[in-house]
Amino acid sequence: MWRLALKNITHYRGRTVTTAGLSFITTLFFIIYVAFMDGAHENMLHDTLKIYNAPIHIDDARYRDKGGFDYLLNDVEGVRKTAAATAHVTAVSARLESYALLSGPRESAGAMLTGIEPDNERRLSLLDKALQSGRYLRKDDTNALYLGEELARRLQVGLGDEVAFIGSAVDGSFAAELFTVVGIFKTGLYEFDASAAFVNKAWFDDVMRSRNMASYLAVNVDDLSRVDAVTAALNAQLHSPREAVSWKTLMHALVQAMEVDSLFGYISLGLFLIVIFFVIMIYGFLNLSTRMREFGVLRALGVRSEQIRQLVVYEALLLCLPPIVLAAVMGYGIAGYYELHPIVIEGMAEAYKEYGIVSDTIPMRCDLFTISWNALTVFGLNLLSIVYPLYYVKGFTPVEAMRHV
Amino acid sequence: MKYLLILLMICTAPLLALDADAIIKKIEDNFRGDNAYMKFEMTVETARHKRTMKIESWSEGKENSFMRILYPPREQGITFLKLNNQLWQYVPKIERTIKIPPSMMLQSWMGSDFTNDDLVKESSLEDDYDAGLLEHNGTHATIELLPKPDAAVVWGKIVMEVDVPNAVPLQAVYYDDEGAPVRTLTYRASKTFDGHNLPTVWEVRPQDEAKKDHRTVIRVEAAQFDHGVPSSYFSKSALKRYSR
Repeated sequence: MWRLALKNITHYRGRTVTTAGLSFITTLFFIIYVAFMDGAHENMLHDTLKIYNAPIHIDDARYRDKGGFDYLLNDVEGVRKTAAATAHVTAVSARLESYALLSGPRESAGAMLTGIEPDNERRLSLLDKALQSGRYLRKDDTNALYLGEELARRLQVGLGDEVAFIGSAVDGSFAAELFTVVGIFKTGLYEFDASAAFVNKAWFDDVMRSRNMASYLAVNVDDLSRVDAVTAALNAQLHSPREAVSWKTLMHALVQAMEVDSLFGYISLGLFLIVIFFVIMIYGFLNLSTRMREFGVLRALGVRSEQIRQLVVYEALLLCLPPIVLAAVMGYGIAGYYELHPIVIEGMAEAYKEYGIVSDTIPMRCDLFTISWNALTVFGLNLLSIVYPLYYVKGFTPVEAMRHV
Repeated sequence: MKYLLILLMICTAPLLALDADAIIKKIEDNFRGDNAYMKFEMTVETARHKRTMKIESWSEGKENSFMRILYPPREQGITFLKLNNQLWQYVPKIERTIKIPPSMMLQSWMGSDFTNDDLVKESSLEDDYDAGLLEHNGTHATIELLPKPDAAVVWGKIVMEVDVPNAVPLQAVYYDDEGAPVRTLTYRASKTFDGHNLPTVWEVRPQDEAKKDHRTVIRVEAAQFDHGVPSSYFSKSALKRYSR
């Protein structure tokens, strides 16, 4: 029956070329579309996480809900040792966030002033890479201020200018200092650039009376796909109310936005697949209906009805399997290549930086499981497309089939 | 009879409103005088810390006031000046006079449960709110204050219990725009200073679950009304001059 099926698909070349071609193109398009979509989402996530957010935060569970200095993380050094010793953790950095008044010679503005550990921060955020002018913070800095470009514009200050800080220390007492602007950054996240300013935490702790305290510890991991496992491992070592929280909780809104974007992507793709499904089905149906006399003769020669159905299924398998497998292999190769060598929009890097966009690359995501289910979906649609033609063929007796025009 | 009752209600409603407005005006006049000097202690308690500050203040009418921190040493000499609806601050440590921008108005004042906005709008109940009498029971009244349509205020509603004969508030509950209570300000231990009845203990308790352990208590140690305040206190140069 296999040989007869092979003979048939070489004989009906029009159907063969159309079905095999559509299966190949659809599978390849499906794989590349999903690889691009997933790659774009992963890139967006990486950028957002890398700019300032980190994959995992360790904090006092009440801090995230209630904020303020009542629920700061104590014994930062002890928690840091625990976190750093956990498998797949690559960097740990303490941050002390404070909403404060910053005042330049002419203008004042509210800002999120954060004490950071400059060297540790390099290993988990892109704050240093977002530098526009001046320099990034150093671990021995005292009154040095590194602030967002839009915030600098609002305060009407530039490099070397003095900025007064007024806020509350951790113990509720009044805190005030004079900073000198040493660097201005631009990440492209407008609200962040308009409200964020950073100082060296080691020195800021004296101003804020927050030695060995932090709003939270930012934790980086070697592979984002391990973030759930690392979060669970950290939580197993931390005692309540301390907790480790992954970016999926911290950036819930971004996760939801990506899910909605994926949903619309799959709806568009679904419409395309439905069209392809009907095209393949119509070609299959037309092919079988023109072969009714052939089926009638076969039945008259003693071939059973089940064997006719078997023949049609074998033909469908021979028509779709090779192109789908070929497309899957090619798709894997293309996705794999562009995951390692993302498409770069040549000459746009400098222009993009002007707008604060951190990455000018368009990567793909190469995931064997995703590619497999993409290919299997097209394969399933091919098999589904022969259900109605089979039902149609079954309705004829051998005599009716031989007389069919 | 029914129509007579309705007519009576319609006719008496403005009178009740007038009563409420008059009570609020009486309270504000009682608190303010033509000018006033006050020395008080402010204790701020949070889940982690308890701090006490000593402050003195001078005010003239409802528009101008000046404050100086006397204690603790870390904050000594910090001055605040309110002119009309604007607030300036002088910080001796950094020798800077800073105007508090609108974006910081709802931030805590000196780590307490009062905000910068409280300092600026402290005397604006009469101007910014429409008062309505909810209940009048003997010497006590409950007054509801709703913001006037064009008033730039942060509260959606204030409900105040008042000792009417003495013109002092007993308690004020502040609500946000959605009608949720934000904080309760309780007044106790009234004393008479220069003919003005003044509660000497003011206690603020935030209603927010996140701040359930917070409270700020002001204890008035001394007050003088209508003794005159030099106009030099109400200029920006005073911030530095009277800092020490």
